[in-house]
This record gives sequence, structure tokens and C-alpha cells, in this order.
Amino acid sequence: MAGQTDPHISLFSPQEVEFMAEDELVKIVPNMNMDPLNFISGDFGRFVPQIPTEVPLWLAVALKRRGKCTFRPPEWMTVDNLTQILEAERESQSTFQALPFSYVEIARLLFDHARDDIPDMYMVRSLVEDIRDVRLHKLETNLGSFQGTSAVKISNVSAMEVNLVRPFVRRALEAFYKHDKPEADVDRDTRSSRQQREANNEPRRPLRQR
Amino acid sequence: MKSRSLKLREAHKVGGSAASFCSILWDHKAEHFVTSSSSDPSISVHDGLSPSTLPPTILRHHQDGVTALALSHDSSFLASGSIDHCVKLYKFPSGEFQTNITRFTLPIRVLAFNGSGSLLAAAGDDEGIKLINTFDGSIVRVLKGHKGPVTGLDFHPNGELLASLDSTGTVLCWELQNGIVSYTLKGVGPDTGFNTSIVNILRWSPDGRTLAVPGLRNDVVMYDRFTGEKLFALRGDHLESICYLTWAPNGKYIATSGLDKQVLLWDVEKKQDIDRQKFEERICCMAWKPNGNALSVIDVKGKYGIWESLVPSSMISPTVGIPDIQPKKRNEILDFDEEIEEELYGASESLNDALVDSDDGESYHTSRKRLRKKTFIDDDGDAYEELNDGSSLPSASEYRKKTLRAHKEKHGAGSGAFKSFAATIKYKMQSPFQSGATPMEPGKRTFLCYNMLGCITTIEHEGNSRIETDFHDTGRSPRVSSMIDIYGFTMASINESGCVFANPCKGEKNMSVLMYRPFRSWASNSEWTMRFEGEEVKVVATGSDWVAAVTSLNLLRIFSEGGLQKHIISLDGPVVTAIGCKDQLAVVTHVSDCLPSNEQVMEFRLFNIPRMTQELKGRVALTPGSRLTWLGFSEEGSLSSYDSEGVLRVFTSQYGGSWIPVFSTSKEKKQEENYWVVGLNTTSLYCIACKHPEIFPQVTPKPILTILDLALPLASSDLGAASLENELMLKQLRLYETQRIVDDMALAGVDTTALEDEAFDLEVSQDKCILRLISSCCSSDSFVRASELMKLLTLEKSMRAAITLVTKLKLPFLAEKFSSILEERLLKEANEAITNPSQNPSGEVVTRVQSMVQNPPASIQTSANTEAFLKSSATKLSSTTLEKKAKVSEGLKLGKEQTKKDETEDATKKEIKKLNLIKNPVNNVNKEGKGLRKEVNQEEVRRSSNPFLKSTV
Repeated sequence: MAGQTDPHISLFSPQEVEFMAEDELVKIVPNMNMDPLNFISGDFGRFVPQIPTEVPLWLAVALKRRGKCTFRPPEWMTVDNLTQILEAERESQSTFQALPFSYVEIARLLFDHARDDIPDMYMVRSLVEDIRDVRLHKLETNLGSFQGTSAVKISNVSAMEVNLVRPFVRRALEAFYKHDKPEADVDRDTRSSRQQREANNEPRRPLRQR
Repeated sequence: MKSRSLKLREAHKVGGSAASFCSILWDHKAEHFVTSSSSDPSISVHDGLSPSTLPPTILRHHQDGVTALALSHDSSFLASGSIDHCVKLYKFPSGEFQTNITRFTLPIRVLAFNGSGSLLAAAGDDEGIKLINTFDGSIVRVLKGHKGPVTGLDFHPNGELLASLDSTGTVLCWELQNGIVSYTLKGVGPDTGFNTSIVNILRWSPDGRTLAVPGLRNDVVMYDRFTGEKLFALRGDHLESICYLTWAPNGKYIATSGLDKQVLLWDVEKKQDIDRQKFEERICCMAWKPNGNALSVIDVKGKYGIWESLVPSSMISPTVGIPDIQPKKRNEILDFDEEIEEELYGASESLNDALVDSDDGESYHTSRKRLRKKTFIDDDGDAYEELNDGSSLPSASEYRKKTLRAHKEKHGAGSGAFKSFAATIKYKMQSPFQSGATPMEPGKRTFLCYNMLGCITTIEHEGNSRIETDFHDTGRSPRVSSMIDIYGFTMASINESGCVFANPCKGEKNMSVLMYRPFRSWASNSEWTMRFEGEEVKVVATGSDWVAAVTSLNLLRIFSEGGLQKHIISLDGPVVTAIGCKDQLAVVTHVSDCLPSNEQVMEFRLFNIPRMTQELKGRVALTPGSRLTWLGFSEEGSLSSYDSEGVLRVFTSQYGGSWIPVFSTSKEKKQEENYWVVGLNTTSLYCIACKHPEIFPQVTPKPILTILDLALPLASSDLGAASLENELMLKQLRLYETQRIVDDMALAGVDTTALEDEAFDLEVSQDKCILRLISSCCSSDSFVRASELMKLLTLEKSMRAAITLVTKLKLPFLAEKFSSILEERLLKEANEAITNPSQNPSGEVVTRVQSMVQNPPASIQTSANTEAFLKSSATKLSSTTLEKKAKVSEGLKLGKEQTKKDETEDATKKEIKKLNLIKNPVNNVNKEGKGLRKEVNQEEVRRSSNPFLKSTV
């Protein structure tokens, strides 16, 4: 198996994905006065009580733990919006609804740390779980349907979902490639390198979009 | 006798075997009917046409059974009274809750509207019948005379009499004009004792001639309107006494229900019963359908039914003969009512009666109310809403209506009739308010005070209120425990050190109380309260170490933090609002009545409490037709106001003290939001954005502040750089204020370096802004404006930058102009240094110059020579000035002066070089003779003013 890479390199653990998602910006309402924080990724603050500000998720969680702020739930995280998304997800078998790239992680972190700040928390939570299940199932069935190709394009797939299917998709695509071109001995080197890049590119694209 | 049985449908559940009094009412068009039960807190509004198919609208506002219902004559308002002691007012038929119009100490038994709907009479187990003004909820009069619970009330159709009946069977007929009893009929009705499911009732005939009262002998007795003489009785088949009766709309028939569970229909003229109906349960309430031959009944089990076509078709229909009475009657009431009302008000005022509820904050209402009444009667609902806006009972729904109304008007939907009225209406003076408070709503938590520091909220619960105090910054500020409020505080103010509360007085026993709660105190139990007798606190404010309260007697009372009464000041007008910040207290008062154009005339004063000075005084600027809704201080301490039209103003010392509109909602894009101002600083406004119909924020979820940039209402300029112009004006304003403070502080001898640095930074940023404006002016070819902007630049460096800017933009003539402006500027500065020597910190500079000038020829000449090399004609001019100066000052030591002079000369040379540098890039204008001479002049002046220049450059 020449083209196969080590699965441990391409697969992140859920914790790692969550860690990366902690850089997403969320809105918080601080209840303390603090000067702006100057980070490498940018300046955040200044923090004034009752005035919403955007900070990275990890900082928000840290502040929340100390009781220094309350979360503003993201716009998409409302019962209405999620119900709509869930319906749309169920309706179409091939496309995915636009959700933040790391919606699973953000939702998880908010449910863990900001229960009191999310209206209808239990409803939202079950909706997010439903959406996740529907999407995963759809993704899996979609994967079952592709054939004889070396690249797949699915838009609006989130980080956690990509991470889940990545090892399988890569190996499958490589296998397709190998079986499709048994005669390409002459220009194998050049083509394989090019194809491989494509195969790598496509499923990973969402990762770069952020 | 027919014995049809009428099928009844359940409207209210009555538990067990207990009988409860239920009510049923039709509206005037018979589109809806309303039912309630004394064992059910909800009120049902049923559709009159198909009561079985459509589910009723349920109004659940009471906490206990509803014992009384009343609809105003035109059915626009529904009033309900309950065992929970409240009388509530709703819009009808929507059922939208309006207000808790009054409260009793015991259950309510009966309610009645007068013909115009302006008065609501309410009575019950309490002593006394309350006459309530439905506009503002003020108690017009309390009629006392009954010995038992009042169960029956009815206004005479012409509005001048009110008949009341108590459970002992005594009828009193009141003259509303003066509140005296015109006649008493003692013990004419059955004594119902304390059975609350039986209500003794009495009814005026629709023509107003007779009063029908159930008699002692299972009959109905008719009494004469004026004398109270017994006219006749309807006696028949009732086996037990009559518990309810109602006249047909035309007054030809009367329906009675007895304790014997039957309902009889009588022909009044023939004094004979026509028909009857037997029921399983006692019928406790009946209502004629206003436009049909039908009677709706409800029994003590909460089941209702409609007895259709009860009057036989051979007889005159009960609806024949009313239409021609109705409109005439209304007009009569109109004329009559006003007089009554006026006299009522006049009487109560002259008595200075404690019965007049002090909730009604005004004491100048006689004529106004009369006018308002007029509009209400002729209304189509709109006039009422419009006029109500300034009423002293700030209920949220009223405000909401007002905005809706305003909204409607914007769309040009105001009826012509209304507009003609508006022209003749006398507008009301604004009633006092507390900045950052939201109107009370029953069962909801409302803000007593909200500012940038924290908030005080209150909720009424079972007679007591619960007050919570929260700071936004939970880390640094103290935690304040919640408080049970037995006084019913409606005003509050909070700052870092404590909070102050006050309540209006409610009647004789409940005096107005002022209470202060310090947050941090070294002594325990340092709360204090003050009581006011015959005086009512209208507005409260706090600052550092002081508390202020303004009362109904126009007294400004200032207390120390510990509760010492420090000062009492008489204000010269009724107070509107007051706000404190650190040492400063701002009080706004009315100067005169509202102008006919609906403009409030108000004045503010700014006091410094510790220094006992009045720092500022002036009129309050408002958008025409608007009201002051917020008063406060910006973070920098300048007084600011916000009006109901959404204009934020800041008081500045520019132009001798004037209000600058720094923000206007109309300029803001988002029209669907209302901004509730909380605070501001020099660049932005902090507010809570409320979705359109709402004006006030809710307590939960906790509101968050929105930051809006200040934006002056600028005209749309052809320049298209409005944001830059706005920024420039704001910066100028800020710089002006900063410089003023610096000057003040310098006068007071305080160190101003920090502020001066700030002013310098401001100058730099202002210059940046101007430079950007210059470039946009250049791109739109408005060169005159660009040169004006050039003159506004403060720093020499930025002026040079402007010159390079225009040079790069390939506008040589503008560059020329600019450099001449720069020259003028430098020249002017130099001139100022000479002509205003007194400005210099000491006379030193002057003497230096002089001494330098009067030096021995040798050195002077050398200096003159060096200049002469540069400019040929310099010597001549300089020598003349030299002579002059030489005369002035003599006898100064040489040695010291010499060194100084050398320094100054060096500086001169540098200056010259600089000047040449500026001029060189510019074309050769200066090489002309004129230019040369001018330059020489400059040089001369420059030389002599050198020491000062050096310090400034």
C-alpha cells in the first residue's frame, strides 16, 4: 500500500479538534472592568460591564468559570433556527446546511460551561445532537455512494465530521485511484503526485476556510 | 305558562356545591359578551355570534375570583373587580391589560362606568364607594355612608346621580356634583347578609325616570328619580326575593331573577309578567342583548345560556325605541359631565381633601381635564391615547399606545377630526420622573433605577415589594442584600456609596417616606428614613455624601449621608427630574405651563452641593412636541439630556452655555428600535435597544448595553464626508471642553499636566481628521473650504503636512495659499507674544527682549549686520524699533544679557532658515518687491519676539 499514510497523522482526537475550536470568537457580556488584552491573535476588550464584546472561546470559558462574564449565545444557536436547520437537513439527502465550522465543539463547550446563559438549553441541546446525528448519517450514506473517483466535494461539512470520515475517505479514494489506473505505469509518478494532492485538498478544504 | 328549558353551557368552573356569584355582560354592539365568576380568577370574552364554536379569550390578571365586571358605554374599556382587592382596566374587545386602576383593602363587589366612561365607580366590602377617574386612575371622590358591603351601583343615564345599594338593603342616591346624599331609602331591599353569592342590585330605567330595586316582598319596587318616592311595584310569581334585575334596552320590559331559581320577564307599563323560565340553579346575572330580542343569563355554577326571543313577537321588540335615545343621551352627558367633573375637581381641591389621591401629581388640572374629557367623548380612541401621554400614572401600556399612535401619525393616518382637536387642545405639563426608571407593571419586575453603575429593581408580591440592588461590575462593587419594601417605593437612585428610595403618599395613613441605605458603613444600622407630612417626594437623587429629594411643595431637601438635614431650598417651579453625580446635582423644573404648540418650558440648575454654589442655570432644550425622558451626566461630567423624540443633548459652555445635540435617533438607520439611554461619554452613547413598540427594557433577561457613536444632526453636505465632519465637530467640542477645564484648573492653581497632555493628543487627532477632510475637499475641488480647514489646524507640523499633501495632489496654487496661511499664523503668534506680554508667566521675557534691544551698539550691530546680509532693508527698520525700545528700558546688566541675546539670535537664525525652507518649494512669489518687504517686516518682528517663540516652537 504505497500511497497510504499513517492514520495517526491525519486523524485528530476530538479533544484536539475541540482545542482548535477554542479559537473561535464568541460574544460575552463581562461583569467586570478590565483593560484590553493584547494577544498574538489580536487585541480583545476593553471589558466594560454589560457591554458585549467578542473574545476567543477559551478566554470566554476561563472568564465564565471565574464568574466574570455571561455568554451571549451565538445567533445560530436558537431553537427556531436549529429547528429549521434540522428540518432542512432531513429534507435534502445530498446537501448540508451552513453551520459554523466547529458548531459541535462550540455547542459542547457552551453546554458544559454556560448552561444558565442559553435559553431553552435542553431543547437546544437535543436539537444540536439531532442535527449532528442526521448529518453524520447523511455523510456516511453519501460516502457509500461515491465510486470511481479520486476527489469528492461536499460543502458545509464541519470540523468534527471531517475528522471522523477523513481516514476512511482518504484510503477509499486512494484505493479507487489505484484500481482505476492499473495501466498508468509510464507517467505514474507525475500523475499520482498530482492526484494525491487533489485528493488531499478537497476534503480538507473546510479546515482552511476559517 | 311555557316551560321550555334553556340549555346552559359552562363558562367557569365552580367547584363543589358552593354557589358563587357570576357575571355576564354584552358589549354595545352585541359582538362579544363577557363572563366571570367569583370562584375563578379568569375573565372570558366570548364571541357573541358563535359562542359555541370559537373559544373564548381568557384574561388572567386577577389572583382571585372576579366579582364584578363593567363595560364602558362605548365598550372600549372593560373593568373588572376581584376578591384580590384590585380593580383592573382592559381595552375591549382585545382584552389588552391597561392598568390596575385602584385597589381596596377588601374584596370588590360591584363596578359601574358612567355614561361617558370617564368615571368608574367601585365598591365592595370596604367602607365607601370610590369614584375613579379612568384617565389617570386618580380617585375623584370617596362616597361614604353605607353601613354594609355595597353590592349595587348604577349611574343615572344623565350622569348626575349615582344610586348605590348595600347588602342590608339600604339605597343611597348620591348627587355627583357635590357628593352629598340626595335621599336614603333605608332597608327597602332584602338583607342578603354576608352571602357573597347574592348581590343586591338596583338599576335605573334606560330613560332615567325610575330606579328599580328589589323589594322585601319578592317584588321589584320602582322609585322616583329625584324624590325617591315609591312609584309602583312589580309583584308576581317570584316565590323568594329577587336577586337580580335588568331593564330591556328600551325600558319597556324588565327581567328579574329570584332566589327561587326562576327568571321572569315583565311588561313594565302593564306591571305584569309575560314569561318565565325555570332553571336548575339560581341565575345570578343577566344581560339583555343590546340589539336583539335575547337575554343572556348565568347561574351560580358558572353556566351561561342565551334565552332567545323571550319577548313574544306580538309585542314591541325590546330593541325598538332605543336608537333615538342613545346618541342624544350621549350628548347630554357630554355637556353635563364636564360641569360635574369640573365642580368635582374644584370641590375636592378646595377642600384639599386627603381623599383626592395624591397619585395624581398635578394640582392644576381643572381646565385641562375638562378639555381632555371633551376629546375623549368625541374620540375615536385616538385622542384619548394622544392626550394620555403625559398623564401622571405612567403605565407601560399607555406609553406603548403612545408610540403606536406616533407611529400611526407618521404614516399620516391621523383622522381629520382629531387634527382639528389637537389644535385646540391645551397640552399638559410633563409629570415628574426618575431617570432610568421603567413604569410599574403588576406581576413584573421593573427598574426603579438603571445607570452605568448598577440597577435597582422591584417586584410587587402579595402586598409587599421586593427590592433588589445589583451592580454591573460584580467584582469591585459591594454585594447588597435584597430588601422587603413595606412602603411601596416607586423612586430610587443609586451610586457607589448608597441608594435612596422614596414613595408617593397614598392617602392619609400612608405618608411619603424617604429612605437611604448606605452600602458601606462603619456603623451598623446606618439606614435612615424621613417622613413627610402633607408633602410628597417627587424626585430623589444621590451624590457623594449627600442625598437630595424634591417634594410636591417645590422644596429641594438635601440630607447628608448620615441623615442630617443640611439644606432646604425652595425651587421656583414644580420639579420634573433631578440627578446627582459626585458633588453636582442637576434639577429640572417647569418654568410655565406647556406652550400651545406642545412645547414644555423647563429650566435646569446645576448645584455644587459641598460648595453650596449654583454652577449653571438655563433652559432645557427639547425637540418641539417632545418630553424630557432622561437626564444625566456624561462620564466626563457634562450635563446631558434625552427627549422623547430621540435627541441627545450635552450642555457645553460654548456660546455662553448651550445645548449641543450630539445624537439623534432619526439619523440612526435602525428605525425599528427604540433607544433607552443609560449613559454617554465624549464619543459614544450607551443605551439599551428595545424592539419597536417597547420603549422600556425588561428586567429579565438582563438587558445589555448597546454602544452607539455620537452623531450630530449634520445637514447632508456636498462634500460627502459627513462622518469626518461629524468627527471633527465632536473633537472640537471635546477639545473646547478640555481646554476650558484646563483653564479653570490653572486658575485654581491645580496641576494640569495630565489634562494638557490629553488636550495635546486631542489636537493631534483633530489635525489628522482635518487633514483627511482637506484631502476630500481637494478631491471635490472645494478649495476655499480646504483653506478654511487649513486655518483650523493647530500644530505647525500638521500645517506643513497639509502643504506637502496639496503639493503631492498637484495643486500648487493651494500649496501657495497654504504656506501663506502658515506664515500668517507664525506672524500672528509672534505678534501676540509682543502685544500681550502679560500673557507670559512673568515679565521676564519682555525684559529680556528689551535688554537685548538696548545693548551696546557693538553687539546689536553685529546681529543687525548678520541680518542685513540676508535682507538688505532690515537695518533701517530695526534701528528705528531699537531706538524706541532703548528709550523704554535702561540700566540693565550687560553680562547676563549678552549670553541670553546670543541664544536668542541663534534661534532667530534658525527661524529664518525655517521660513526660507517653507518658502522655497513654493514658487517665486516672495522674490517680488512686496513680498520681500513683507518678509523683512516679519524678520524684524521675529527677532525681537524670539525668546517667546523659542518656547512655543
